[in-house]
Amino acid sequence: MRIKPRFLIGGGLIVAAIAYLIVIGIRSTSEYYLTVDEAAARQSELLGQPVRVAGRVKAGSIAWDPSSLSLSFAIAPLPPEDGVKVEPVSMRPQQEIKVLCKGQPKPDMFAAGRDVIVEGRFTGPNFVSADQVMTSCPSKYRAKKAG
Amino acid sequence: MTLIGQLALALALLLALYSIGANILGLRRRGDDLVVSARHALWAMTAMVGLAAGALWSGLLRSDFSLEYVASYSSTTLPTVYKITALWGGQQGSLLFWTLLLSIFTAIVAFQTRARNAEIAPYVLIVMAAVAVFFLGMLNLVTRPFDAMIPAPAQGTDLNPLLQNYWMAIHPPSLYTGYVSTTVPFAFACAALMTRRLDDGWIRSTRRWALFSWFFLTLGNMFGARWAYEVLGWGGYWAWDPVENAAFMPWLVMTAYLHSVMVQERKDMLKVWNLALIGMAFALTLFGTFITRSGVISSVHSFTQSGLGPYFLTFLLMVVIGYSGLLLSRLKDLRSPAELESYLSREAAFLFNNLILVGIAFAVFWGTIFPVISEAVRGVKITVGPPFFNKVNGPLALALMFLMGVGPLIAWRRATRKNLVQSFAAPAAAAIVAGLFAFYGGVRHWYVLTGFSLAAFVLATVVVEFERGVVARGRMVHESPPRALVNLVAKNNRRYGGYIVHIGLVFAFIAIIGSSFFKTEIKRSVREGQSFEVGPYRLVYLGLSSLDTPHLEDLGARLSVMRNGKMLEVLEPAKLLYKRQQQPATRVAIRSTLGSDLYVVLAGVDDQSGLATFDVFLTPLVSWLWLGGLTMALGTVVTMWPNAREREAIAAAARRRMGDLERELAIDVRGA
Repeated sequence: MRIKPRFLIGGGLIVAAIAYLIVIGIRSTSEYYLTVDEAAARQSELLGQPVRVAGRVKAGSIAWDPSSLSLSFAIAPLPPEDGVKVEPVSMRPQQEIKVLCKGQPKPDMFAAGRDVIVEGRFTGPNFVSADQVMTSCPSKYRAKKAG
Repeated sequence: MTLIGQLALALALLLALYSIGANILGLRRRGDDLVVSARHALWAMTAMVGLAAGALWSGLLRSDFSLEYVASYSSTTLPTVYKITALWGGQQGSLLFWTLLLSIFTAIVAFQTRARNAEIAPYVLIVMAAVAVFFLGMLNLVTRPFDAMIPAPAQGTDLNPLLQNYWMAIHPPSLYTGYVSTTVPFAFACAALMTRRLDDGWIRSTRRWALFSWFFLTLGNMFGARWAYEVLGWGGYWAWDPVENAAFMPWLVMTAYLHSVMVQERKDMLKVWNLALIGMAFALTLFGTFITRSGVISSVHSFTQSGLGPYFLTFLLMVVIGYSGLLLSRLKDLRSPAELESYLSREAAFLFNNLILVGIAFAVFWGTIFPVISEAVRGVKITVGPPFFNKVNGPLALALMFLMGVGPLIAWRRATRKNLVQSFAAPAAAAIVAGLFAFYGGVRHWYVLTGFSLAAFVLATVVVEFERGVVARGRMVHESPPRALVNLVAKNNRRYGGYIVHIGLVFAFIAIIGSSFFKTEIKRSVREGQSFEVGPYRLVYLGLSSLDTPHLEDLGARLSVMRNGKMLEVLEPAKLLYKRQQQPATRVAIRSTLGSDLYVVLAGVDDQSGLATFDVFLTPLVSWLWLGGLTMALGTVVTMWPNAREREAIAAAARRRMGDLERELAIDVRGA
């Protein structure tokens, strides 16, 4: 099929409009997706900007008040994946970020040691006010193999 | 069992490889015996994959925990129905299930092409067998469903509680069926390219397969949305999660394909475009599996992640590069004499609807892979969430709605002013009336006003089409209107089935607008006997009731729903605790009406204070989404229904081909 120039203009306009929507959409809605370490390191420049931080809920840090629906906890960096070599960092204190999420029910799978994604903004040093806390489903429940 | 399964999978792989070899040799030597043997090998392969699936099912049903898969995804207390569905609850099993579907479709195609399409059948079957080789290779070498667990544990770890739901029992099979069946049109497209038989033969031969695939993709997406709505307990049904996007993109591209092939059949245009679309659809199904399996893009509900990513990516790249190369090498043969004549024509409407559908698919694709790209390019992971997808796709959906109204009524080639006025006067009036109605109803958001207007516009075009047909039949064959309506649909099922699908999509569209713009959420913590208001309802918390079985603990809260002082029903949202995995889950209580859904989640119970926390959503029009999905499915069935006229056309085409063949033979004989 040969396409006459005037139809290329029409098609081109549609493609351009879609591209425009995508570019504007990305620019106005994107959020940084960071690990706890990255987030902690860059928090001053990120102050007030929407971020998503992935981390692991620290044991003993959870406080949940059902009457005001306020959940506060701390997240620590995710441990490196299996097979990745770990540098000895035992001397350095582990970085952590405190999170306060108000007005949302506690997610079902929320518990110490679970991996979560926190969506919100930095509102203070090492402190994120979250709009949403998402628990990622542990993908496997297999019992640890011996050895 | 382990041995049987493993052997069956190994044999299936060998049979698939043999079939490819035999077909290639058969084509080289023009040996019919080899081609026949290749076909038989595929049937045997299907039997072997069936045997392997049967072995795994048997292991699940017998709770044979010496199989690692069974120990990981089942338990003795798991209800039987979920033991059966656990086949696709984990990675190895779901790949086996995928391969099972692929083998069954391959066997059916091998059967269908015994007599028909004999020229291209070996090529089609080579492509399908090659896809099967990939999956069987994975099952044999990389992710093996029959690995043993030594020593066998006394109890299994159980299926993920979120998957213990009836929608999860039917959502993956529907989606997989939709995914896997795109292989058939894709294989025919490859065969058409390889043999340079580039007329619309491959499209006609696979029209039903494409519709079949679309039918299951539609249902699969809808069941998935329904599952998310009922199980995840956040009041919504769609979150633009990578896994959802992965299922949505092939649907979009297949929708575009189903429309643009009509232009090729009718006007012999868009040949390259159609071939590109089916290639995209197939590649997107692989991409979907890649996303869900690889963990490259983190998703809240990838249930099965693993190191399969690189294999899928390699296969995906091979498919994309190979197919693009094949398509490019045939561009010269794909020139079409016809050309677009006017913006005001059905061809143009279809072309633009295609651009928008593919545009939406691209936007979804871009948003899904954006974190990976930004990390590679800028070193920072940047994500885009639902706001991005809504912002981009909102306007595109409105444009698509508009074209959905225009397409069926506008004339082919070039619309005259008379055609435009006659066809669109009533729908345009309906759109204006609906818009005014909504405005007087208090709607001020321009998105919603436009959306409702366009919905009315599309519905009116469908009504106009039905009315025209009924009136014409009444005049020509003197039928009463109801009878004329039935005959109209029966005799032109392709066309009117399509209109029914359009009605379904309008329903879904209305549901999406209603539920996105008018949803209200209320969270309350109350003591027994206290009540609170949600929209027109008053909810009274009556108290707790608990149930304890070996499989789960069920802590329910009873709430009576009142409206205007009248008791309507008692809802019982619950918190569940699955004992095997010590994992809590939610059971949502929904009071569903056509107007709106009252959706109640028991968010928590505090033992000390006795406070129960409820998360309640009032979502207008959301039921129309499910209704719309079912209407779309119904319309697709109508379109697929066997039709005498079409059978005649296929038979005529076959006779023509036979005639050509005989003439060729006659020339050969004379030449010799």
